[in-house]
Amino acid sequence: MRRRRAGRAMLLLLAALYGVFPVYYVTVQSLKTPEEDVFGNPLYVADPSFENYTELFATDGAPVRGYVVVPHVPFAIWVLNSTIVLTATVALTLLAGVPAAYALGRLRPPGWRWWRRALLATYVVPHTILFIPIYQVIIRLGLDDSHGALVLIYTTMALPFCVWILSAYYRHLPREIEESALVEGATPSRAFWRIVLPMSRNVLVAAGLFALGTAANDFMLASIFLIDRDQQTVAAGLGVMDVSLEELVAVAGVNLASIPIVILCALFARTYVRGITAAMVEGA
Amino acid sequence: MAPSLLLVLGVLAYPVAWEVWVSLTDFSSRSTGPPAFVGLANYARLASDVDFWSALLTTATYFAATTAAKLVLGVALALLLARPGRGRALVFLAVFLPWAYPGGVSVIGWYWMLNPPITTSYSTFMGGIKYAVDGVLGTGGWAFTSVALFNIWRGSSFTAIFLLAGLNAIPTELFEYAELETRSAWQRLRAVTLPLLRPYMALAVFLSFTTAFADLANVWMLTGGRIVFPVLGTQAYWLGIKAGQLAEGAARSLSLVPLLVLAILLLFRWFDRREAEDGAA
Repeated sequence: MRRRRAGRAMLLLLAALYGVFPVYYVTVQSLKTPEEDVFGNPLYVADPSFENYTELFATDGAPVRGYVVVPHVPFAIWVLNSTIVLTATVALTLLAGVPAAYALGRLRPPGWRWWRRALLATYVVPHTILFIPIYQVIIRLGLDDSHGALVLIYTTMALPFCVWILSAYYRHLPREIEESALVEGATPSRAFWRIVLPMSRNVLVAAGLFALGTAANDFMLASIFLIDRDQQTVAAGLGVMDVSLEELVAVAGVNLASIPIVILCALFARTYVRGITAAMVEGA
Repeated sequence: MAPSLLLVLGVLAYPVAWEVWVSLTDFSSRSTGPPAFVGLANYARLASDVDFWSALLTTATYFAATTAAKLVLGVALALLLARPGRGRALVFLAVFLPWAYPGGVSVIGWYWMLNPPITTSYSTFMGGIKYAVDGVLGTGGWAFTSVALFNIWRGSSFTAIFLLAGLNAIPTELFEYAELETRSAWQRLRAVTLPLLRPYMALAVFLSFTTAFADLANVWMLTGGRIVFPVLGTQAYWLGIKAGQLAEGAARSLSLVPLLVLAILLLFRWFDRREAEDGAA
């Protein structure tokens, strides 16, 4: 019994290491001075310095590396742009996803199962060449070089899964819940807003977090659709930095940009699991 | 329902139609006249193209290897986390971290860490691995493997959390019965847990497919194509975007669709069947 417990503890430790180590490794490098970067130990930092982080926000006196003057990056603006894009994506996904999911899960129009499948099937479309015609659509909509383009595309990427889990949840929700609200004299829309929506809170969080994760995972689309430096998100911006000269500053930027998202995810992690579980429980 | 469908199908319908049409023409930045309809000529050319088949093989291997690894790791981590115990909450967060850590930017950090551009304290070590792997797989092998590793690291986190939620959704009585009816833990896993998890695993596998390319594309864009291992996606990108051979690029890119459609039909059978049954009841 005791040995089994020890074995389990070992496995848990391994699992934790597996998740954390790469982030730890990257963080250690980002805290190094150039000297330590070259001569230090790769696994820890002896003399941590926040030089690479402050560099991201510096505005005057472009540093010279060798013969190359490295221009400053508008990191604060990038962070702001990322915030706008991510928030708008999550909001739009939920705004468009919840009615769709409710309709598919509850009202069940003819062929609802096929609509649901069709949404999920859009995931098989390969995006490689697709961004040329997508660009045409974006220009036609007057969204080129603007955040709207990214919000629109990210939403199309996140929606199918979100609609899937939300509609699964609404489908399993007992009808009596709305019926009793209607008996009490509530209008259907009121019953939805005041009763059904608050009940699905966990699933909404799960869908929102998935949308956030999807949008935050993209680099390619951001760097294609945002050309203007002051419009770029963190991902697009860091991508154009001359990484061979400034790899540590870029890594510091990566880390710094990740912190708020990681905290957000950590706060909602339990709700996320509960939400997906709620969507999947049969007849719950 | 309308706004969602309009958004997803509306934004994608025109591009997809455009791509299919282009793949049937000789559209190219090199030709002078308007694009002419050539039928299936682009696809016919693919069949006799050695590069195409090798890229297809690489693509299939990449999909299969990353998906299998994500599934195995995901199931293992989910089972580990499903049991109550001390320190579980912290380990749960640690397992959640790879997915929470935004991939779009972290893949940049990862790539440069695993493929150091200049002399750093870790580059000797990483260089050692790089040349060992490159020796086996050919130039660019390590760069490619490192992306696959990143994809597995991040994807297994998502799969694990997703399957953990799935495990929670299965009534505990079923596991209690299983405890009584089976002899060993291994038998229990094979006969009870895995079959119960199957619909969730199918959905996870499907999502793993669709993200497997995103990571590769991310790094590939970022390094200006310094990853030399061609998969269909990158080949299509070279031909279509860099070389202006849009028609051929589109054909190459679309050649994967039948395979993916087959995969999705199979998966629908697995994770949508239960719902089809109670829909009929």
